Amino acid sequence: MAQGTLALGVEAVGCAAFDAGIKGAFGYPGTPSTEGFEFVEAMIQAEPEGRVAQWAANEKVAYDLALGVSYAGHRTLVTMKHVGLNVAMDAYANSALTGVRGGLVLLVADDPGMHSSQNEQDSRRLAKFAWLPVLEPSTVQECYDFTWRAFELSESLQVPVMVRLVTRLAHCRAHLVRRDVLQPTGLGVAPKETIQDWVLIPSNARRRYVDLLAKQPRMVAELAPMNRVVAGTGRRGVALAGMGRAYFEQLALEHPELLDMPRLEVAAYPMDPGLEPVFLGLVDEVFVFEEDYPVLEERLTFQRAGTIHGRMDGALPRTGELTPRLLKDALGLRTADGKAASTLDLPIRAPRFCDGCGHVDAYEAMQEALQNLGLPGTRVFGDIGCYTLAAQEPMSAIHAVVEMGASISMAVGAAMAGQTPSVAVIGDSTFGHSGLPALLTAADSGVNVTIMILDNRVVGMTGQQPSQALDQVERMVLGMGIPASQVQVLTPLPKQHEANVKAMEAALQHPGPSVVVFRRECIQSLRRGVLKEHDQELKACAEQACCSTEARP
Amino acid sequence: MSEPRIHGIVLGGVGGQGVLSLAQIVLEALRRSGLHALQSEIHGMSQRGGSVHAQVCFSEVPLSSPIIDEGCANLLIALEPLEALRYVAMLRMDGHLVVSEEPQVNMEGYPPLDDVYAALKKVRGCHLVDTEDLARKLKHKQAGGMALLGMASKFLPVSDAVWHDVITDRFAAKGARVTEKNIEAFNAGRGLVQEAVGV
Repeated sequence: MAQGTLALGVEAVGCAAFDAGIKGAFGYPGTPSTEGFEFVEAMIQAEPEGRVAQWAANEKVAYDLALGVSYAGHRTLVTMKHVGLNVAMDAYANSALTGVRGGLVLLVADDPGMHSSQNEQDSRRLAKFAWLPVLEPSTVQECYDFTWRAFELSESLQVPVMVRLVTRLAHCRAHLVRRDVLQPTGLGVAPKETIQDWVLIPSNARRRYVDLLAKQPRMVAELAPMNRVVAGTGRRGVALAGMGRAYFEQLALEHPELLDMPRLEVAAYPMDPGLEPVFLGLVDEVFVFEEDYPVLEERLTFQRAGTIHGRMDGALPRTGELTPRLLKDALGLRTADGKAASTLDLPIRAPRFCDGCGHVDAYEAMQEALQNLGLPGTRVFGDIGCYTLAAQEPMSAIHAVVEMGASISMAVGAAMAGQTPSVAVIGDSTFGHSGLPALLTAADSGVNVTIMILDNRVVGMTGQQPSQALDQVERMVLGMGIPASQVQVLTPLPKQHEANVKAMEAALQHPGPSVVVFRRECIQSLRRGVLKEHDQELKACAEQACCSTEARP
Repeated sequence: MSEPRIHGIVLGGVGGQGVLSLAQIVLEALRRSGLHALQSEIHGMSQRGGSVHAQVCFSEVPLSSPIIDEGCANLLIALEPLEALRYVAMLRMDGHLVVSEEPQVNMEGYPPLDDVYAALKKVRGCHLVDTEDLARKLKHKQAGGMALLGMASKFLPVSDAVWHDVITDRFAAKGARVTEKNIEAFNAGRGLVQEAVGV
């Protein structure tokens, strides 16, 4: 029975995936995508019936899990943030060649304006790069409806389909009307005669690449109903996509004269190349309102340079988030004056470490050890997580943060270039995500690098999701080839400070690679009791001397 | 034919104060009152004690933009006085502010509290609430948010019955006693504004 519910945009995608009959949902947490997975996970936990929901060690693993479900003939959803798609790019680009069996939908949440990200890359570009379709909703209901459509398209075109959201839509909460729920029935495993399609050795890959390119006109044809030109009486037009379309539509409620403008409305790519000449034939100049990179704008500018206004010609700022105000200013709409801003100087209230957070104790031990060794200026390579907050004043304890897992490899590289001792700081979840291969190289390199693993036992920053590395960190470190004598496990607590400083000094002085694990559960997860059940089981296991105790080093 | 009116509410505070749950209650109450409503929130590391804000837009017609433009909001609900000042320019000339007097000093350079209050009192339509005192009187530590909501409710087209239903549903899992305390706080806040001012 169709029913209504309140949901965020990303949640609407997760909800639609459940309703469209997925067998499995996978993802790696990352703002603003996280709640999409969590929503469908909760639905699956309430009604499993053979469905699975699983956080993965990283986005590439998540994507490959989904591709496996598809191979087995079932519908599947995989979720990540925009920079997560970089990690999954190998899988994503090559799955364009294998194609899919069960429908595979990829939810990617972009973060224009970089509310909580290190860049504002536009996933529409990556879809084009992989020759794959991408749907771009502009409302919560469209998030839901487009996800259903994405599953149908994925199966009819036999390719993965991306649904691209941006922060404002991902975190917009609205009423949603659901459709009847489909059970995960399945098409059966990829048939024998298609096996060679899935084996991307060069001879097959060449054939599959030709097949993928040959599918392009069909993609355009099937997506065509999602894009349209709306005629108008004026000679000034607008090209709209995503939130640009949402903002324009709402402005038109208060300024109905805007609807006199001819409009190109785009919600799916690749778009019909015939649409642009039709639209441009109606107008003398065009404002392009799209979120993030100038994707539509570039195409239109290519056809009619000089009359297209947007991010490239300076009509809109080149970077940052699109806002209704930017549309108003570009279109010359006046807004009545509001209240005057406060003249009082308002200092920024930045996020900070929680009171009692173990990361602070770990950093303090590191800084004092460097001081004691006469190395106070040592550059420290950080990583992505709550502990990135240490880059801020006054702590200033880390001096580079680039992308997931970069800390270890950059520290090894710097040590190779002569900066010793070299220090890396990485969280347990980030370590499991992409620190492992880096540590393998670190162990092999033999250089003087000290790797601090801040193990708070959860994915702290995104809301204390389970960390895949839970209870495994030492074993992983030893398995990567770091000698047991150079692996220390410390408790980051003020009362352990002196001992921790000494341990850090020893690690820093060791001429080869060493690892110091600082383990204490995240304050937030401790308060919420996230690991309570797990730890009780672990304790019971230890008392009975079964599995988990022998798992410990 | 006149254009439909679009109303905007801005909610501001500090991570951990419950800004987002308050926004969700407002959203649900508006929806149950037959209005079309959207809520927007920005989070990520917000639970780490940084500034947090959410916006709710509503109208009699379906809306598509979750963002309120500067100078267009009708109402600001702020759980913290310094945070309130950040969003004053979001309000229309005739907009109202419902602000908790209770400061959260978890940062460097917090201005003298008297300066903050003075700046707020200069803004027309500002209603300051001594939530600390209210919480003490009600013997309910977390009364502040609900009291502010009660006060804010005077400016919103939602009936008492709907507010009570939404609050009851929100706290149902925590038991009748918690629900009762929250409705009590809501009513206390509502009693603080003398005349009803509809939007």
